[in-house]
Amino acid sequence: MVKVADEAKMLADIREILDNYPPEERYILAVMQDMQKRFNYLPKAGLRMLAFYVGVPLSRVYAMASFYKAFSLTPKGQYVFRVCDGTACHIKGSETLIEQLYKCLGIRPGETTPDGRFSIETVNCLGACALAPVVVVNDRVYAKVMPGDVEKIIREYGGYAHEGKNED
Amino acid sequence: MKIMIDEREVMAYPGEAILEVCRRENIFIPTLCYHPAFKGQGACRMCMVEIIDSRGQRKLVASCTYPVSDGLKVITSSEKIRKIRKTLAMLIAGRAQASPFAQKMAGEYEVKPFFFKGFENEKCILCRLCVNACEEMGSAVLAAVSRGVDKRIETPYAEGAEECIGCKACAEICPTGAIEVKEENGQRIIWHKTFDLIKCESCGREFATPEQIRFIEDKTGRKIEKFLCEGCRKRQTAEVIKEFSV
Repeated sequence: MVKVADEAKMLADIREILDNYPPEERYILAVMQDMQKRFNYLPKAGLRMLAFYVGVPLSRVYAMASFYKAFSLTPKGQYVFRVCDGTACHIKGSETLIEQLYKCLGIRPGETTPDGRFSIETVNCLGACALAPVVVVNDRVYAKVMPGDVEKIIREYGGYAHEGKNED
Repeated sequence: MKIMIDEREVMAYPGEAILEVCRRENIFIPTLCYHPAFKGQGACRMCMVEIIDSRGQRKLVASCTYPVSDGLKVITSSEKIRKIRKTLAMLIAGRAQASPFAQKMAGEYEVKPFFFKGFENEKCILCRLCVNACEEMGSAVLAAVSRGVDKRIETPYAEGAEECIGCKACAEICPTGAIEVKEENGQRIIWHKTFDLIKCESCGREFATPEQIRFIEDKTGRKIEKFLCEGCRKRQTAEVIKEFSV
């Protein structure tokens, strides 16, 4: 559940991001990138405020946000597991990694754990085929990941949802 | 300035697109995403023509967006152009499988569409005329959302938009009837939103939403005293004008 205080904090954060840019259409993408970085997704209120700020219809801002894969319109977990599923990683068993992640976290690519800590995504190629199979967690790269490593990596980020560790 | 279209010399004004000149000269070029009320979009590529530049090079361009220049030579029909239009008809019919318009077009171009999976109920050809209409006539709540095969025309978050005035301009201009509008019990449902309908004071036909009236009043700065539908308003205006004629 989103608390009122959290929402007020979010609105303040959005305002802070907007204040860094002049109210012009050409800064829409830059603002959205900042929002994505801050919240891990583009909040509805953020897009609304952005549209109002630069003076374009919300529909146009939304269309842009939905076009780019770098933006997410639904909340993403605190830690995003990007599993490379490019040709090299696929051959080296990235599917097994996705399966292993499902066993540990109970989520499939594109989903987020109920506690909002983990998300899984697949990417088509990270350009690090020599390190296949590759998993990137936020900005950290894990190379030549074996199915057995998955649990270890998750533990680095405070354990997995199924253990119920992080329930308030 | 003068330009040559199919070896015929015609007059053109600077800033015009080839298509606009052709329309005026009654030279037929098929279009899907063009409407004289808006600028050419270059979205559907149906209006492709060949131009010949000063060095004699042939080039394919979208006539709805390509600006005329003095001495431009245009060919509106050739084997190459026909082939492109056939491919387009095939692709569009393969996508808009539930649209009689698109299927008929494929028949006219004598192509057999390849039916894409998951588009069995699709009518939209993504011409974006509705997006233009919404921007010009309504309140710009429509846009082409997402990308690639997932691209569709939607309101933000696929929810009823606060700004939507239910004017139905999008549905009126849609060439394939892809936009769903339900009108029953004095209400109109469009784009996930329900509107009340106002009756024409003269003929009783339900013709507009209160949001629409308010929108027009705001835009024109004039209060609408009498709610009249298009037909009745025309008749009334004609009555008034009649008095002035000698």
